Amino acid sequence: MVVRDLHQRYGDFEAVRGVSFEIRPGELFALLGTNGAGKTTTIETLEGFRRPSSGSARVFGQDPFGQPAVIRDRVNAVLQGSGLLEDLSVEESLRLTSDLAASPRDVDEVLRLINLVDKRKLRIRQLSGGQKRRLDLGSALMTRPEVLYLDEPTTGMDPEARHETWKIINELKESGVAILLTTHYLEEAERLADRLAIMHRGEIRVEGTLSGVLAGWGDRVSFLLPSDVRTADLPDVDGAAIEVESRDQDLWATYTVTGGDVTARAHHAVAALIAWSAEQGIVLQNLQVRGASLEDVFLQVADGAADLITE
Amino acid sequence: MSTTTTRSPAAQASARTAPGLLKQTLRLARTEFTLFVRYKTALMYLVLPLVLFLPLMSTPSVEVLGEFTNRDLTFAAALVSIGLMLGIGHASNVFAARRESLVLKRLRVSGVPQLAIFGGMTLVVVLFTLALAVLILGAIVALSGTMPADPVLLMVAVLLSAVAMTLVGLLITPLVRNAESAQMFSVVPMMALLLTGGVFFPLDLLPDPVRTVVQFLPVAPASEMAQAGYSGYDVFGGYEGAEALGTAALWANALPSIGVMLAWIVILSLLVRRYFKWDPRQP
Repeated sequence: MVVRDLHQRYGDFEAVRGVSFEIRPGELFALLGTNGAGKTTTIETLEGFRRPSSGSARVFGQDPFGQPAVIRDRVNAVLQGSGLLEDLSVEESLRLTSDLAASPRDVDEVLRLINLVDKRKLRIRQLSGGQKRRLDLGSALMTRPEVLYLDEPTTGMDPEARHETWKIINELKESGVAILLTTHYLEEAERLADRLAIMHRGEIRVEGTLSGVLAGWGDRVSFLLPSDVRTADLPDVDGAAIEVESRDQDLWATYTVTGGDVTARAHHAVAALIAWSAEQGIVLQNLQVRGASLEDVFLQVADGAADLITE
Repeated sequence: MSTTTTRSPAAQASARTAPGLLKQTLRLARTEFTLFVRYKTALMYLVLPLVLFLPLMSTPSVEVLGEFTNRDLTFAAALVSIGLMLGIGHASNVFAARRESLVLKRLRVSGVPQLAIFGGMTLVVVLFTLALAVLILGAIVALSGTMPADPVLLMVAVLLSAVAMTLVGLLITPLVRNAESAQMFSVVPMMALLLTGGVFFPLDLLPDPVRTVVQFLPVAPASEMAQAGYSGYDVFGGYEGAEALGTAALWANALPSIGVMLAWIVILSLLVRRYFKWDPRQP
């Protein structure tokens, strides 16, 4: 899958503004972003339901628009909505998918995989939201796709089903399937994604491997500012930005350390601060050291403060 | 995990041979049949033509073509309206609902060709239309004691109209937002085509220019074929002066009507291909 400078306009509104990425076999790329960020429009372009306003999308080197026969049998998707014929039973639905496919999996194998063996005779409209979502994934697996689009595949699942689903997705990845995932669960992206991108207002604001993205965001060292220390007295630490904010009437100092040696930078910052506190004869109360979480990055991007991250 | 899941995608790709289009179409038609039987609204479209037949029973009966009465001819034309109601009503309703619930999108994205999806629906409409037509025809024959002169021509008329009307039904879906509006909106072409199809009043009553126009619409030619097939009379130029003909001559005179119907099927197919929407978000 290769997307180059993709733009999608609806009238005056530009839903996707110059998005580029590529996904190789055996790789899972997660596209994160707020609602309306342009994720689904991007997926729909790759699925062949939209012609790019400009730029290009290629799947197996082909333009996917209109689902041409050469790639049709090799891709599949879990859509944002279910898209199953609800008057069919679970088994009837899978058999239909199987009979229409070029090289289908065994129906019983898929039923076991998505843990719906005992629900096989049930009409789909009687399934719970999470069960339907599992069947959506099962239906997509039926055709043994080499490229798979997963648009919020675990919505409505309980934590156990979600973990089971992650296991299935990881196995697909290992078997060489190229996967594009969108999700609102950041933990899902952390668990599954080889690379990820955060979209906001039609643009990719942050992109890279999880560790790369988090490294760019930096480590934070924070402590409660002693009452007799003024903000201006705080020492400079190499490669760190200082921020002081009040929480519950207390002042907290936070050093955000970016760049440099990713593995050792938090250590160096803490060492410098401990040395300074010894000199001052004070204690750094409530000292906390933490790496950035994907959530920190996501929230900053969603707030529109993306410049902070990329700098 | 079984061994099949760990095969490399490249190995799978070489083994891929999609089932043929015909096989896929028949498979979808089988599922359409199951869904039709399970779907109450579909049964309503099946009963609708029967409701139309009841008032026809009480119309005054005058012999217009030999032993055949105006009522016989109206019945014959009305057989064509089965496909009209089922095709326009059922296809538009079901496909609008399926687009809304992403069923159509999922079918496409899982690699099912559009022709198979449309074909499955068309087949099931044709099947139910023919079945109902045979049933009604059987009742007419039992009541009147007259066998249709050319049952094949009659059934070809029913078949062609069912195909054309299913395409009209599919063509309604891009114009409506959901299944409910499809149900409401489909009444407009349904009524318009019924009125110009020779069921409510004989096409003979229309002034010549109007009649000429109507004969180029996708229902009147099928109605006339049905009447010709039922009576054996060459009704294509109107009842007046129509003669009873042999099979070959009747089919020869039916050719222009068959041609108009086939032309409509081609035009409607191209329009469906061009304008059909698979995705509810599609602009």
